[in-house]
Amino acid sequence: MNPIVSREFFGTLRMPRALAALVVLAFAFSLLVLARWPSDAVVDLSGGQSRQVFRVFAYGLMVGILLLVPAFPATTLVRERIKGTLELLLNSPLHPFSIYAGKLTGLLLFAVLLLLTSVPAAAACYAMGGLDLSRELGAVYLTLGILMLECVALGLFVGTIAQSPDAAVRLTYGLVFLIACLTPGPYYLLQGQPGLLTALAYWLRRLSPLPVIMQLVGDGGVGGQGLMETSTGVGEFAVVSLVCTAAVLGLTMFRLNHRLFDRSRSQGKITEEQPLAVRAARRVMFLVDPQRRKPGIPFYLNPVMVKEFRTRRFGRLHWLLRLVAGCATLSLLLTLAATTGTMDWGVETIGGMMVMLQVFLIAMITPSLAAGLVSSERESGGWDLLRMTTISGFRIATGKLASVLWTLLLVLLATAPGYAVMMVIKPAMWLQVQLVLVCLLMTVVYTLSISAAVGSCFAKTAASTVTVYVVLMVLFLGPLLIWLGREAPFGPTVVENALLINPMGAALSVMKMPGFERFELIPRCWWVSGGASLGALSVYFARIWRLTWPT
Amino acid sequence: MSNGDPVVETNELTKKFGEFTALDRLSISLNRGQILGFIGPNGAGKTTAIKILVGLMRPTSGSARIAGADCVRDARRIKRLVGYMPDRFGSYDNMRVREYLDFFGAVFGIARRERAKRIDEVLDTTGSTYMQDRFVESLSHGMQQRIGVARTLLHQPEVLILDEPANGLDPDARIEMRELLVRLAASGKTLIVTSHILPELSRICNIVAIITRGKLRVFGPLEQIMRTIRQRRICEIQLVDSEELEQARAALVDALDEAERPTITAFESESLLRFQSSRDDKDLAALLAHLVDRRVAIAQFREVPTDLEDAFLSVTREEKQAEEAVGKQ
Repeated sequence: MNPIVSREFFGTLRMPRALAALVVLAFAFSLLVLARWPSDAVVDLSGGQSRQVFRVFAYGLMVGILLLVPAFPATTLVRERIKGTLELLLNSPLHPFSIYAGKLTGLLLFAVLLLLTSVPAAAACYAMGGLDLSRELGAVYLTLGILMLECVALGLFVGTIAQSPDAAVRLTYGLVFLIACLTPGPYYLLQGQPGLLTALAYWLRRLSPLPVIMQLVGDGGVGGQGLMETSTGVGEFAVVSLVCTAAVLGLTMFRLNHRLFDRSRSQGKITEEQPLAVRAARRVMFLVDPQRRKPGIPFYLNPVMVKEFRTRRFGRLHWLLRLVAGCATLSLLLTLAATTGTMDWGVETIGGMMVMLQVFLIAMITPSLAAGLVSSERESGGWDLLRMTTISGFRIATGKLASVLWTLLLVLLATAPGYAVMMVIKPAMWLQVQLVLVCLLMTVVYTLSISAAVGSCFAKTAASTVTVYVVLMVLFLGPLLIWLGREAPFGPTVVENALLINPMGAALSVMKMPGFERFELIPRCWWVSGGASLGALSVYFARIWRLTWPT
Repeated sequence: MSNGDPVVETNELTKKFGEFTALDRLSISLNRGQILGFIGPNGAGKTTAIKILVGLMRPTSGSARIAGADCVRDARRIKRLVGYMPDRFGSYDNMRVREYLDFFGAVFGIARRERAKRIDEVLDTTGSTYMQDRFVESLSHGMQQRIGVARTLLHQPEVLILDEPANGLDPDARIEMRELLVRLAASGKTLIVTSHILPELSRICNIVAIITRGKLRVFGPLEQIMRTIRQRRICEIQLVDSEELEQARAALVDALDEAERPTITAFESESLLRFQSSRDDKDLAALLAHLVDRRVAIAQFREVPTDLEDAFLSVTREEKQAEEAVGKQ
């Protein structure tokens, strides 16, 4: 047996977070089945109860895999490289492919274990009747099995290019959610139209497990603009995913050798020392040249905030400008969709999509910026240096928060033009847009404070980033999963209460997005998210205050 | 605080972690411009003592003062008085050396214009001006150590506490670091330096503290410690022929007194005899004459110079022997 398989598998099982993931999943699935298990003598012959559970079960399992699986493969190679054990492995008689295969198998075994926690619940669901074992239950498991393989292969590949565990976690989660949530987007806009672009969009969509699961649980018509699909798409998803996995495997094998160590450290040549022509070219190409010598930090700015911007790879001004430009382009594309698609979808649906995309963007960006605010400093040894300076804990805390807040506000502003166009199309929406913007602002504060608070409790950045992603996804996707079961197994009261913890739910209800229009979440949702933000901020400030103390 | 008062002073400083005593009643004092070499094996309690001095840790009992400021109660003042360089550099990604120093200058509240001037000064002092535009993480270990010292100098502290500044440096960088520390002490700074490289430390420090298992074993001026150690001189007799080793040994046993005899060690492969003695030069000359009279063919008769390493070894050996004696009882 490949020694790496057992080391990887048992090594992962020894982690407390692995045990927590197994327990939480098993508990959640058991609860789900229990909620709809017939408690009286009446038997549902139509299989409706079973299908209701199956729907939430399939989505829940997919979200569980997307949240829990990528964290483990993303960090394994980077950690080994940093600790120096990868050099030892590559220097051993083991072929790089054996190392890769060992890691892949070990991590897949763990992922399968995660999936197995759902089998008793799935069996109970099947026993309730109304489900086809191979075409429904089996197809869901097949899809999720392929998704796991894809996530693990992607995580391992990212591990060969990332420089630190937290960067690997961020990149892997970003790619996984890009594949799962954003690849179906172009097809929903282009469907029904002839041409190569539509065909490409169709196959791009097949990268994502989401449309397949939607089709399997009977939600295939959502966003279909009246077009019905006859196939579940499991086969096409399997083909596209396996091809991509093979490609990713090839890329990983290409990098899993001396190339991992063959990196020179950037010396960072300053623009002022470049020839005149280069300086002139850089002046034209960069509005804000990142390689120019910076002036000192002015007295009116919090030095910790400036440091955060400067040390963050994407925190430098030229990257912020690029980010804002990207968001503005995205917003313009949505605006285009809003103007051309209103006949089919209605302004409300487009508005709802915009809200979801913005919240998705915020929920994706925030943990990568805020989760490591304290832990990265502690990990690098900079925290002790900061503690030795005269700056107060309060200024450290506010400087760090401000660096993330400004970035998020810029992103939010850049995505706002779409709403302006919507108001031109439907001026009566002015009040709704105002409320939505408040909800989005609340979302920013909510995600930021929770990310900062949770992140400050960890000493390692990778652990804090994973935890913050999981917490945020639970807070944002959990209520949506409950919302999916709004008719059953959950009643409207449960759904409304669940949506209160998600400011996005309030924004969607304000937008009168189909399915959300009946819920009255404002102002209660603002109170809840405001209160939670205050609580989280208190935890964050208390943690920083405690960490600045002598031990 | 008058000029004669000690700049650094600890009184019965103790730190306990549960049952484990990391630092046991440490009492030392240092005057302005002195360099203290803080020596001890791994886990001896050096870093604990340093962390208490810089206000990162609280003592269980005892007190520590730097330039009159209490290390526990006047933590804010201590931060201005002390420049601390931990054994880990504490770098930030994507930051250039000048930006790095500018950041630390700003958090110390130094005004921008003054800061720029001081950055130039500390870069000049540490000989790092040429690397001001380089990314911090791209610097070699030696360069990072120099930038670390530059950072500690930014806010013009009275006391510099450097934890293993020569650790991992190549010989050239070590010499540069040594010269830099001597220059800083000459400019009036008081330095506390820990190091495992004892010959290196003995060249720069004038006060030595040897600490083992949290307890201060030796403390005082380097010369005084050396003098104490030199009271037992180590002498070597290089023989012409190794076959005469037993004959020479017998002659030496006859000449030495009872306390000195057990210290004789013979190295057959090197034709060498080594022993410890408290005799003065005149008595040693008589000893040599006695050996010559007994027809021992001697190639060299020499005294082995003692250094800080010997001092450290003698302290740790004494401790080991005391422990063994307790174990036997």
